[in-house]
Amino acid sequence: MKNTIKNIAALFLIFVFSGSIANAQGWTVPNSAKKKQNPYEATSKNISSGKKIYNLHCKSCHGDPTMANMIPLAPVAPTDLGSQNFLVQSDGEIYYKVNKGQGAMPTFEKTISDEDKWMVITFLRSFDKNKKMKQQVAEVKNPEVTDVKFELNVNEADKTMLAKLSGVTKKGKRVGLQGIEMSFLVKRSFGYLDVSGEDPYTNESGDVQIQFPKDLPGDREGQVNMLVKVTDDAFYGKLEEKRVVTLGVPTDPVNPLDERAMWGTRANAPIWIIVTFVGGVLAIWSVIFLVLFQMIKLPKLAKNKD
Amino acid sequence: MNDLPKQKETTLSFEKIKKDILHPMQNHKGLELWIVFLITVISVCGWAYYIQLKEGLGVTGMRDYVSWGLYIANFVFFVAVSLVGMLISSILGLLRIDWITPISRIAEIIAVAFVAVAGLVIVLDMGRPDRVLNVMIHGRFQSPILWDVTVITTYLTVSALLLILPMIPDLAICKKELTKASPIMKKLYNILSLGYINTPEQHKHLHKMIRTLMVLIVPIGLAIHTVTSWLFAATLRNGWDTTIFGPYFVAGAFVAGSAALIIAMYFFRVNYRLQDYITDLQFDKMGKLLVAVCLVYLYFNLNEFLVPGYKMKTGDDVHLKELFYGNWAIMFWASQLLGNIIPIILLVNKKFRKPLPIMIISLFVLAGAWFKRYVIVIPTMLHPHLPIQNVPENFVHYYPSAIEISVTVLSFALVLLIITVLSKIFPVVPIVETAESKGIEVKIDA
Repeated sequence: MKNTIKNIAALFLIFVFSGSIANAQGWTVPNSAKKKQNPYEATSKNISSGKKIYNLHCKSCHGDPTMANMIPLAPVAPTDLGSQNFLVQSDGEIYYKVNKGQGAMPTFEKTISDEDKWMVITFLRSFDKNKKMKQQVAEVKNPEVTDVKFELNVNEADKTMLAKLSGVTKKGKRVGLQGIEMSFLVKRSFGYLDVSGEDPYTNESGDVQIQFPKDLPGDREGQVNMLVKVTDDAFYGKLEEKRVVTLGVPTDPVNPLDERAMWGTRANAPIWIIVTFVGGVLAIWSVIFLVLFQMIKLPKLAKNKD
Repeated sequence: MNDLPKQKETTLSFEKIKKDILHPMQNHKGLELWIVFLITVISVCGWAYYIQLKEGLGVTGMRDYVSWGLYIANFVFFVAVSLVGMLISSILGLLRIDWITPISRIAEIIAVAFVAVAGLVIVLDMGRPDRVLNVMIHGRFQSPILWDVTVITTYLTVSALLLILPMIPDLAICKKELTKASPIMKKLYNILSLGYINTPEQHKHLHKMIRTLMVLIVPIGLAIHTVTSWLFAATLRNGWDTTIFGPYFVAGAFVAGSAALIIAMYFFRVNYRLQDYITDLQFDKMGKLLVAVCLVYLYFNLNEFLVPGYKMKTGDDVHLKELFYGNWAIMFWASQLLGNIIPIILLVNKKFRKPLPIMIISLFVLAGAWFKRYVIVIPTMLHPHLPIQNVPENFVHYYPSAIEISVTVLSFALVLLIITVLSKIFPVVPIVETAESKGIEVKIDA
């Protein structure tokens, strides 16, 4: 009887022990690191800049937070960073793991700045159901509005763009909306280039002005496709405008298929390869036809004898 | 050569040579049965091809990883064997080596049969064979595929010419002697013999043409197998990405071709009772030639596997370990040992260069050569530089399906049928050349 109890107790201990290892996935964080605090406030500005950095560095493996659409790597798949299981960790723990990396997770110690890392953590924390209260602290209060839209003004002379974001209050008055981030995106070959600059947040009158890069190539007329939108759909729904603007540097596009190259079409084969191939075929086949022609002579040579 | 057993002394006259060589062409009981058997095999396997044509290439074992499977390995093997025509009748012929006289035509028959079917194997590997002409119509000069199609067509043409031209005097004899031949055959002999009656002018003219083609086929022969190797080497893949692939393939082709020739020699000697012409001397010499080309091939194999094996660079290492002691080890080492190293050790021994032992050894060499091509093509396909992710389990393995195997059997049967038919309608040993080499006067009546 005693032995049985001992055995059960031992089994229980093993179970608990192995369970705890599996849970931690063998990734222990020193206590000192756990206590580290996020020095940045959970403002909507910080959260949205954290989202940008997240999309750039984290999303390719971890997917969208709370969506569980990470890439299925083996043996350990990346965690959904918006899940509550993940967010029970302290800011310090997440910060430590981002810095150090483990297995397939690379180290970001030198790849991205400390500020950016904290922004990402701020962004992730916004999915934490237990800390929702804190997130609200430093937000700019805009009046409740309907019919939100923005007007876009392009100044082609000094290459600036001005967006004015406004909405109609309950009293029927159109007012500017403050502290909302806008995105100014230029369509390139494989996606959008963000030209919003450092501070694309609307001011008190709802205006945000950005300087378009002076050296960005456009098409032959210097036209580029712009996509301007309110960065975060969460505030007023999807608000965006597409427009063709003449702000780029006029550029004649170079198609690599237009030059003579090994990867080109047949018409654009390198001269030397055409000469070698056609020359070789002509040389060999002319000899073959010469021999075939000589064969016709053979019966005639028999007649000569007579 | 003094240590060779003395040939049975026979007094050969021109009449006897003619009789010995022409007789089996018309009086061979088993031959018709053999042809019927081959046609049956082709018909049955043709049905498998019909299924492939109807259902698409999905009925084969080929998937996204291995898109070059059994067919391409077989194609490379056929091209390799066909190179024996250029080695024997051209290189050795130009060097005026006299013992090849009785076997040069067999070599040319093998060359024509294998290269013709090699071209066909590519068409069999196509999902839409009706689009084959697009290679010519839209082919890019930069693509080794276009070079390969061009060079195979050229080699087939020149090989066929090198089969027919030296045969013209013999065909003139056939025209006279084969009285029992069907009218169609008589017409064929009449046309192909081109009114040859062996005048000195005709003789000189004919041999000038033959020598021109013999020189011409050397670069074409080298090109055909070098370009075939470039189909692989021009691709950035582990195991194919090497600079010696051209000569490596050519050396391997000489091995496969010589082995095939020895086997064919043996069967013609026995079945056509040509012991007086295809003598032990030819087998002994071919044995020595086989050792020589095997040694060259072994040298290339050392370079091909030892140097990358020493470095084991990333990417190559997976591929090489699979070959050396992984899933492909048995096939790899069997082809190296049974198909190359052990034959060398045996064939340096005079006893093993007798007709029967050397024929058996050649069977191993030929089988080894076939499996070697399989090992060259498929394991590399299984280890791409960029792995394809989240694919079904059967994508990452390759086993040829029954359909694929049947179609491959079809190609082999077709080769054998072409060889059989050619050896039935044409004398397999050159009559006039043999007589001339023995100093017997040749008379061809007009």
